[in-house]
Amino acid sequence: MKETLKLGISLFLITAISAIVLAISNNITSAKIAEADKLANDTARQEALPQGETFKSIENNKLKEITEKNPEILEIFEGRKEDGSLAGYTFKVSVSGYGGKIEMITGISSEGKITGIKILNHEETPGLGANSTKPEFQNRFKDKPTDKELVVVKTQPTSDNEVQGITSATVTSKAVVKGANTAIDTFNSKFAE
Amino acid sequence: MRLSNIFYNGVIKENPIFVQLIGMCATLAITTSALNGLSMGLSVIGVLVCSNFVISLLRNVIPDKVRIPAFVVVIATFVTMVDMFLKAFAPAIYSALGLFIPLIVVNCIIFARAETFASKNGVIESVVDGLGMGIGYTIALVILGSIREILGAGSIFGIPLFGEGFQPALILIMPPGAFILLGTLIGIFNLIRKKNENKKDVKHKEESYNI
Repeated sequence: MKETLKLGISLFLITAISAIVLAISNNITSAKIAEADKLANDTARQEALPQGETFKSIENNKLKEITEKNPEILEIFEGRKEDGSLAGYTFKVSVSGYGGKIEMITGISSEGKITGIKILNHEETPGLGANSTKPEFQNRFKDKPTDKELVVVKTQPTSDNEVQGITSATVTSKAVVKGANTAIDTFNSKFAE
Repeated sequence: MRLSNIFYNGVIKENPIFVQLIGMCATLAITTSALNGLSMGLSVIGVLVCSNFVISLLRNVIPDKVRIPAFVVVIATFVTMVDMFLKAFAPAIYSALGLFIPLIVVNCIIFARAETFASKNGVIESVVDGLGMGIGYTIALVILGSIREILGAGSIFGIPLFGEGFQPALILIMPPGAFILLGTLIGIFNLIRKKNENKKDVKHKEESYNI
């Protein structure tokens, strides 16, 4: 009994000290982490919707209504130009890729054209799916219309709603296009005039 | 034990990847590029040195019967700290390493060194052991990652090497290629090691005759 108590107390001490060290580390770093996160997100939103100068999340109730039906949608931001007029919207979604979840932002202008996509986090294979973060792939989404859903093709696109996928990374390509389509659907049903 | 022997042990004689064959799952998954291998290696060196240091410091304090959970808590604490501090102060490196950092907790090498060495040796020796094993691990990872990247993607550290017409051997980026390459490298490494040991044996014999 005495030995069990001794063992228990030693373990408790070790875990208690570890918890204190981690709590202190968290204290030191949490503000900086939140700052870095916000900066990364703002930059990403601007890359997806270049004409947007300032970004603000859409009204909470509206967002809740949308995310309840589509849980893969994480954030929707309204982007305004310098003169205050509406530039468009950015949609952050989470889709299942090849190696895990892909978090991406799709920018759609108020005229209904895709202004760009930005992949934030992913677990895709380097050299294959991970190339989806490169401009060569992301640029293929620029100026795409939103009247129809986008489709992945293996060779040069022959119509406006086709996007050329990455060779040997079909699952990743399809996942990213699915993310863009979620943004397109949401834009058309909730935000288009 | 001489410190240089401990270091040499970690890098060559008991290299965690090529000789001991531990920490394999992370190794194969991560070495799809040279940069990934290097980043993971450096993180492991950091955690390994710190965990060896603390565990060696506490080796007479931690009761033997609960040493395993104690080691795991120490290792997980250091990995979590590395995760937090990188995210806060070096976000560029953090996003490059991203998913690899939590993987370090389950890397058997760190646990193995805690159990085999740090819990039974002095603090300075343990730190050197951590450095040696960590560097040996990093070298193995960079070699593996570089070959896989050069042949599988046609680049090294992201710099493209061959022209447009190069058809990479994609199998090397995927698990089967990793296994094949790893096995080959282990064979080569052990061949070189054996040859060197034979040379040393012959040399020792010669010296003992000359006395």
